[in-house]
Amino acid sequence: MRESLLDKEVMASTESSVVRMLPNAHVVKVGGRSIMDAGREVTYPVVDALRVLLETERLIIGVGGGVRSRHVFSIGLDLGLPTGVLAQLSMADALGNAHLLGALLAPHGVVAIPPEIFGHLLPLFIHSAPGVIFNGVPPYSLWEHPPGIGRIPPHRTDAGCFILAECFGCKTITLVKDVDGLYTEDPKENPGASLIEAIGARELQRRGLPSLPFDEVLLDLLVNARLVRQFQIVNGRKPECIAAAVRGEHVGTIVHAD
Amino acid sequence: MQNELLTELGKSLVTGNLTDPTLLALTASTEGVRILPNANVIKVGGQSLIDRGREAVFPIIEEIEENLGRHKMIIGTGAGTRARHAYSVGIDLGVPTGVLSVLGTFVSMQNARMLHYLLAKHGIPFIEPEQFPQLPLYLEERGAVIFFGMPPYTFWQRNPDVGRIPPHRTDTGVFLVSEVFGARSMIYVKDEDGLYTADPKKDKRAKFIPKITVGELREMDLQDVVVERAVLDLMERAEWRRSIQVINGLVRGNLTRALDGEHVGTVITAD
Repeated sequence: MRESLLDKEVMASTESSVVRMLPNAHVVKVGGRSIMDAGREVTYPVVDALRVLLETERLIIGVGGGVRSRHVFSIGLDLGLPTGVLAQLSMADALGNAHLLGALLAPHGVVAIPPEIFGHLLPLFIHSAPGVIFNGVPPYSLWEHPPGIGRIPPHRTDAGCFILAECFGCKTITLVKDVDGLYTEDPKENPGASLIEAIGARELQRRGLPSLPFDEVLLDLLVNARLVRQFQIVNGRKPECIAAAVRGEHVGTIVHAD
Repeated sequence: MQNELLTELGKSLVTGNLTDPTLLALTASTEGVRILPNANVIKVGGQSLIDRGREAVFPIIEEIEENLGRHKMIIGTGAGTRARHAYSVGIDLGVPTGVLSVLGTFVSMQNARMLHYLLAKHGIPFIEPEQFPQLPLYLEERGAVIFFGMPPYTFWQRNPDVGRIPPHRTDTGVFLVSEVFGARSMIYVKDEDGLYTADPKKDKRAKFIPKITVGELREMDLQDVVVERAVLDLMERAEWRRSIQVINGLVRGNLTRALDGEHVGTVITAD
């Protein structure tokens, strides 16, 4: 008991197999800016796709904060507030979106769970309801890490959904965005950018692309993941891709740990 | 959203990509605000101090009492022996890092409660993360608050590179509190004079290091260090908390001297 947890040998000795707490649940992250902020035209077809999927699969649905989070970041930054405060502020925007999407999915039995009890009651809800919805924000709040560059919180909603999937040992994690996947460049700025169908996290880090369609910290998280060894980015504007990805088909970009 | 309502940065953030380094660099262009520039963050070690009981804890409590009115103190607690036990059982049972993080939180909370009762007669509160909005009031009125050092990541604790022990524990939690508030200092109260070239409990030839940078420390690639390695990584990226001091809380007067700004243990700096 007096061994130092900071000793490298002690740390290595704690490597062993990990149980999967919710092996049959799937995590689906619905983009804030990419889906919700685009309004009815884009969100309704996604809701419909999730409705059909909920008939056969258990879903943990996480939602991003979108434009309102970007806005509150810009005001907070202008006021000189630190990263941890920005992280704390952004929880509310994603929570609002979780309730918006939750209202649309309520007829299909999806429950919006408050963040304070979400982790602890997740096993209960996922066994009692076809799906649950939460704000994807991890509870880092004031304890958010200062990022390498600038002041934007590095653990945003993609990261929150990924860490949750890893901790609970979920079957898959799908990020629903408004692009077909990962491109060599931002396809909205350069139509000539080409789609990367599959890539390893380390390879992606080496390539140092100018921008990514997901939280960059996901790459580090993936490398250290024990249970969830890949995630897939799909285009929510092609809603049929969501169910396909959850069922294990390759319809967008798969980023894997190896 | 009307575009004229947005600042230039606002426009870039709303339309841009948050992984774009050019955009991210813009987000550091305004001068930051130090939220609690007069507060000192103190971490009282779990295994190193609290688990030693009265003999080690009472003198620290007395020193905290003596400094009420002299220094504002945000006091976080470590976890220690029971966390190690819970981690070992949890790892044997195969539970993930996130669950171990919940267990560690409980232990540092027990320690915070105990320190809280010892300081309760001075009206010093113990606050959980949800009560942090009240922290400035308590600090102003009572001069000190107690919190549990574990960051509230629970199931969202990141996996470590090696093994299964949560990499962001109480050293990291208190560090981030000091950073986010732009506090005056970050003092780790442990049971060694500071950092050594090896664990002085195991190796009598270990040499004391009074002052070192994170870069130098990383180059030494020590088998064991006196603070969580995550603290070193975060310090390099921090806006305010660019140095920490590790002191020996078993030596009476060290805490007061450290609060007064003296160098009494090991100072680790980012630069």
